[in-house]
Amino acid sequence: MSKPVLQIENLSKNYMLGKREVSALKNLNLTVNAGEFVAIMGPSGSGKTTLLNVIGCIDKPTSGQVLLDGIDVGKMPENQLYKIRRDKMGFVFQTFNLLPYLNARENVELPMEGKGKSKAEQRKRASELLAMVGLSGREGHRPQRLSAGEQQRVAIARALANNPAFILADEPTGNLDSQNKAEIIKLLANLNLSQGTTIIMVTHDSQAANHTERMLLLKDGKIVKEKAGLHLAKKNNKCPNCGSSVQRTDEVCPSCKKPIFQTEELFST
Amino acid sequence: MGIINRAIRNISRRKIRASLVIIALAFSMAILVSIPAGVVANQKSANDLANNLSNTIGQTGETINQTLNQIDCSLAPSFSGFGFRAADAGTFTPGQGGIGGTRSGGFDPNQFGGGTVGGQFGGGPFGGGEASPMNQTLYNDINNSISGVAAVEPILQASEGSNETVSMFGRTFTRQLTSYTIEGIPLTSDLIDNYPVLSTNVTAGRNLKAGDSGVVLLSENNSAYFGVGVGDTVSILGQGFTVVGIHGTSSASDRLVLYMNLSDAQAVTNNTGYITSLRVFTQTSDLVTQVSTAISTLHPELTVTTGQERLTQLDSLQSTYNTALESAQASIGQTQTTALEEIIVVVAATSLIVLFVMLYTVRERTKEIGTLKAIGFSNSSVMGQFLLEGVLLSVIAGAVGIAIGTLAAPTLSALLLPSVNLFGVTGVRVASNVASTAVVSVNLEIVLLAFGASVALGALGSLYPAWRAAKIRPAEAMKYE
Ligand SMILES: Nc1ncnc2c1ncn2[C@@H]1O[C@H](COP(=O)(O)OP(=O)(O)O)[C@@H](O)[C@H]1O
Ligand SMILES: [Mg+2]
Repeated sequence: MSKPVLQIENLSKNYMLGKREVSALKNLNLTVNAGEFVAIMGPSGSGKTTLLNVIGCIDKPTSGQVLLDGIDVGKMPENQLYKIRRDKMGFVFQTFNLLPYLNARENVELPMEGKGKSKAEQRKRASELLAMVGLSGREGHRPQRLSAGEQQRVAIARALANNPAFILADEPTGNLDSQNKAEIIKLLANLNLSQGTTIIMVTHDSQAANHTERMLLLKDGKIVKEKAGLHLAKKNNKCPNCGSSVQRTDEVCPSCKKPIFQTEELFST
Repeated sequence: MGIINRAIRNISRRKIRASLVIIALAFSMAILVSIPAGVVANQKSANDLANNLSNTIGQTGETINQTLNQIDCSLAPSFSGFGFRAADAGTFTPGQGGIGGTRSGGFDPNQFGGGTVGGQFGGGPFGGGEASPMNQTLYNDINNSISGVAAVEPILQASEGSNETVSMFGRTFTRQLTSYTIEGIPLTSDLIDNYPVLSTNVTAGRNLKAGDSGVVLLSENNSAYFGVGVGDTVSILGQGFTVVGIHGTSSASDRLVLYMNLSDAQAVTNNTGYITSLRVFTQTSDLVTQVSTAISTLHPELTVTTGQERLTQLDSLQSTYNTALESAQASIGQTQTTALEEIIVVVAATSLIVLFVMLYTVRERTKEIGTLKAIGFSNSSVMGQFLLEGVLLSVIAGAVGIAIGTLAAPTLSALLLPSVNLFGVTGVRVASNVASTAVVSVNLEIVLLAFGASVALGALGSLYPAWRAAKIRPAEAMKYE
């Protein structure tokens, strides 16, 4: 049984909007085990980004606890938090957020700064990661010379630079066409399978969410529904329709001949 | 990819903006380099002036001290009594622009009768006629009967030239245009060896020596006037003399003077037995007052001038100098105040330019800063990044500005600093050798100082923007577009 790497208890987050207090998260509870691939869905303004930011230590809870490996990060001072972000978290953003004046490799090297790695080591690691996301030979390209899908791959490579425990992805496919969407989801899913990286992904896209193993529906700052995704089938090597054994590479179940990764309406949002 | 590389890339990313900012900053730095250079140059001029003046006063005082045992005697209204030998007076001459201002106008005393030897302290432009001739034998008693007298040098001076009538200040004067002045001095070894009776500035040939007769020492002016040189024979009042040497002009008053043996001078000017002045040397300088009183008692008709009186005149000259120096110093002080004000403005402008540019940059890159923090950059590395960018911008501009400033320092400092009035006292003119115009030049010290300033001002200006960058909250920065 996997152990929980993230435990959220009674988390609330309020923002001041002028004099009015806006409640973005309300007494939210969530436990995520090591190696899980979790999708957070929900309508706009439901608190998805806020939740991800609190988990990623770039926003602070108003009340409640956020335990990362049993340590409450909610009350940690900034001079410790940045190290957690650097060493444990890998952020992937909807808008990629690559530095435009750095090439792909230099962008991937950024999180390694201050980790005591030599220039050569940083270079090597960045090249390896870029190769892993399918961008070997593109190391020297600046973001404006890469397609949107390629830019998001660079961002994923950057997120992986320090071998983080978590990948936190906020609508990573939001700015991509369907072809690139599928590839980025595949990339994340494979990452989760092969490296065991815990992934929490905010998405609006049901198809994308369906490829995770656990889907959460957020509404008005609360988790209102939870559902298993198709990724679980991959992990368990079982067909989600008939329950017979399948290979991870199978797209269609050898027994019932139904597609394993079917499209269905997940939550009525 | 280090922090420095990133700073350079960010600056070069916005080329036009960076260029404009660098030009503005470079201009400030050029000014920052030029102003101290200008102030240093002004200060140096003033110091040179002060040194030159005090040297001049010192030398003159020395000359006077050396002649403290001298008493000049002549019959009124002669001016010879007023002066002492021109060659001794050296630098003190109005005709050269020495200290001309104490006189009421720029008249060359040689253009007026009498006073051909005197006039250093401005006997006045309207000097009387020829010195009255004195019967030499009548004054032998000075040497014989006054105790304390060491030697007596009888002198005969006679000027040759033409008369001219001039109108001035509503009056008419007869002005004698002197062509040359003959000065006869006794060429005895006793006088020559022991007393300063000969010219001290022989530029060609030789000086006169004991026992010389039929020879003459011309001034350069004489040499040109007669058209003769060393070894030639010159005809003076119809009599031939061999030119043994030429003396340089050390004062306006000896410009036209040719020296010869006293008896030759008396013979050629038809003044046998007559002289125009006496110079009395006392045994010690503290005997001067006593001896001059004795001379006046013995010969009340004589005008008697002592070295002590000349010293008094020097004192008044000194105070005129001091006034000039004070005025120069005041002027320098004014310049320094202006320089300081301008430096404050430039320093403020420089750091403000950096401040606003960096604030703009931070604002523009809010999302980038949020991203950097989200992927694990600490507050201090974000702050360091922007500080470095500000400093780098300022240092690049500093290098350009120092280069411009080094070349343009004379022009810029002339534009920015009030001109220093070193000779602010009306009517006081200072000889060209006294005045000094120091060249405005930028030295290594100023360059290093300005470079240090560009680093400091860059850091100062970007401190607040960098702090703002460090304080950016990543969650909010992500929402920023
Ligand atoms: N910085 C903020 N200041 C004020 N209100 C905020 C801020 N961030 C988020 N909110 C509010 O919190 C709620 C949740 O926002 P968010 O987490 O961004 O939603 P989602 O990502 O699900 O669209 C919204 O009502 C939003 O307006
Ligand atoms: Mg959102």
